[in-house]
Amino acid sequence: MFFTTYLGRELRRRMHQAIFVALGLALGVGLVVTVAAASAGVTKAEAGVLAALYGVGTDVTVTGPALPARTPAAPGNGTSIQAGPAGYEICRDGRCESAAGHSVQLLDPQYSPAPSADVAAVARLREVSAAAGGLLLSDTAVTFPPSSGQAGGAAPPSAGFFSVDGADTGHLALGPFSAARIISGHSFTAADAGADVAVVDSGYAASHGLTAGSAITIGTVRFTIIGIVAQPQSGGSPPDVYIPLAAAQELQLADGSAGTGNVNMIYVTAASAAGIPTVSKELSKLLPHTTVTTAATLASQVTGSVAGAAELASDLGRWLAVLVLIAAVAVACLLTMAAVTRRAAEFGTLKALGWRTCRIIAQVLGESVATGIAGAAAGVGLGFAGAAIITTLAPTLSATVPGPSAAFAQAAGQVAPPAPGSTAPHLVAVPLHPSITAGVIVLAVILAVAGGLLAGAFGSWRIARLRPAGALSRVA
Amino acid sequence: MYQLTGVTKRYRKGHRTIPAVTAVDLTIGDGEWLAIQGRTGHGKTTLLNLLGGLDRPTEGTVELAGTDLGALPETQLTHLRAQSIGFIFQTFNLIPTLTAAENVEAALIPLGSGQPERRVRVAAALHAVGLADRAAHLPIELSGGQQQRVAIARALVKDPTVVLADEPAGNLDEDTRDDIIVLLERLWRERRLTLVLVTHDTAIARRAQRVAVMTDGHLTTGQDSPNP
Repeated sequence: MFFTTYLGRELRRRMHQAIFVALGLALGVGLVVTVAAASAGVTKAEAGVLAALYGVGTDVTVTGPALPARTPAAPGNGTSIQAGPAGYEICRDGRCESAAGHSVQLLDPQYSPAPSADVAAVARLREVSAAAGGLLLSDTAVTFPPSSGQAGGAAPPSAGFFSVDGADTGHLALGPFSAARIISGHSFTAADAGADVAVVDSGYAASHGLTAGSAITIGTVRFTIIGIVAQPQSGGSPPDVYIPLAAAQELQLADGSAGTGNVNMIYVTAASAAGIPTVSKELSKLLPHTTVTTAATLASQVTGSVAGAAELASDLGRWLAVLVLIAAVAVACLLTMAAVTRRAAEFGTLKALGWRTCRIIAQVLGESVATGIAGAAAGVGLGFAGAAIITTLAPTLSATVPGPSAAFAQAAGQVAPPAPGSTAPHLVAVPLHPSITAGVIVLAVILAVAGGLLAGAFGSWRIARLRPAGALSRVA
Repeated sequence: MYQLTGVTKRYRKGHRTIPAVTAVDLTIGDGEWLAIQGRTGHGKTTLLNLLGGLDRPTEGTVELAGTDLGALPETQLTHLRAQSIGFIFQTFNLIPTLTAAENVEAALIPLGSGQPERRVRVAAALHAVGLADRAAHLPIELSGGQQQRVAIARALVKDPTVVLADEPAGNLDEDTRDDIIVLLERLWRERRLTLVLVTHDTAIARRAQRVAVMTDGHLTTGQDSPNP
């Protein structure tokens, strides 16, 4: 009671100084909180971009080499488009006919195939907690106008494109489907493992008038749409259509083959974040002709202002916050030491009354800690205000994400201009939402209180060195 | 009560050594009132600090009730001051942010007594100096004489055996000075304190049982001391 009374009265006596010190600490702490919130927001934005690319629960992806430009199928195999003297021809299993007035749907894998047994081998690796295969395909529909091949310059053919992800319905937490949110209909169930059902991305569904219950043709197979999903806003280029992996493996590809028993993507979850580099190395050893990609390597491919913002937050922002906090603590230390010097006679009197040095030090430390706590509270408030300002005023960030494989791009572009979104890496808007976590608030409080304690420690050092007689003589 | 033998205190100032007290031999009996007189800068306050354990002698011994103060560790010295020695300063030395009652209570904090007991003793101490109605006032709201009364209450609240007063009336006008000295004298008699009072005022010194004179750090006692 006497302790708090004395403490409160002293702080009130030196109100201006206490407010000045608290504000200094608040500014430093507020900057730390704001920078941490902005950094967390940028990390979340980046993670959202990456999650849409490879899924939320995926730590590592394995892909085969991108396919070379699709050469026309060997005679007698598959479907191809060939240019002849009389115009384009569509050849199916060796029989060719004029393409004029006809449409053809070509289904091609985006990456080289690998046997499903590789997925099981990956799952058995140490430090791997889960592995799932996927089959990424591209469906291109080319339509030739009736006047195609006629003299006088016929209209060019038009091409429509959509991407297809054959997802393992037993491991939906891995891969691009993991980030999807059902907004209509329902998701895959275990019973859908080999069924001709599809879940469609909301953007593709809206632009093509598709709903749950309608149908979509992939290759030559008709799939029933059971659900519509939305991917995170900050997503890269998620697939347009998801079908069960087994169904994807049964589809006939443009070259006449089927993907039976094959995958061309392996999604891997590591047992721990620290184990990701080890998993990455082991995968490279196990599957030497593949490309092993982690979130870190993928993040390095994501460019744009989101990457710049991440650098700004982690470098300049962090150092600025640290510098301001150091300056605030230094000022607090100097002011506390000056106050102790001014109060030397008071402390000398207390020593004469029989107060132990540690008791006097506790009083001064209490005053400093109280100032630190006030600074922490104000700093957290400033941090929230800073985060709100960033949310309101900061421009939407952008990220340039890698596009689909070049092989697919070439295949789609053989007879028509490249389908939208099928070639170059593309830009996505990434909204920035700074987030303040409980951990950041606790850190802020600890920093401010530690700053107050440090200032009090400097003052305490002076008190410990005070000789009572010398201190009392300052009054005389 | 006190036995000083060959007590010398020297201060270092840069390369110079300044003697403040030189070869003092002094005995102060229990319940005695000793006045130490002398001009400013002749070592009176230094001697008082040595008696109160606020400083340690360079040479010699200062014994209080048989205990060599110079040999005690700091914590024990602090404890001794808390229990047995009351101080009264020329400039009152009240803590400006605490009320009169809280200033008096500050002397009881080191003794570890509970708040109810402290409250009772503080009230009694302020009553003894005639300031029971000023308990809630801050020092800035009190006159000089009232502040010194609070300081006296603070010195006496712990029932010390020794009171050391350094120019207790030095900052007061003549009438107030007399009031304070009369109060001190009354309390000395009632409580059978050992009182050592430093003053440059001959009139005040004459009220004591014995007068010692400090001249250039040397102490002479009784009839042998020249008037300052």
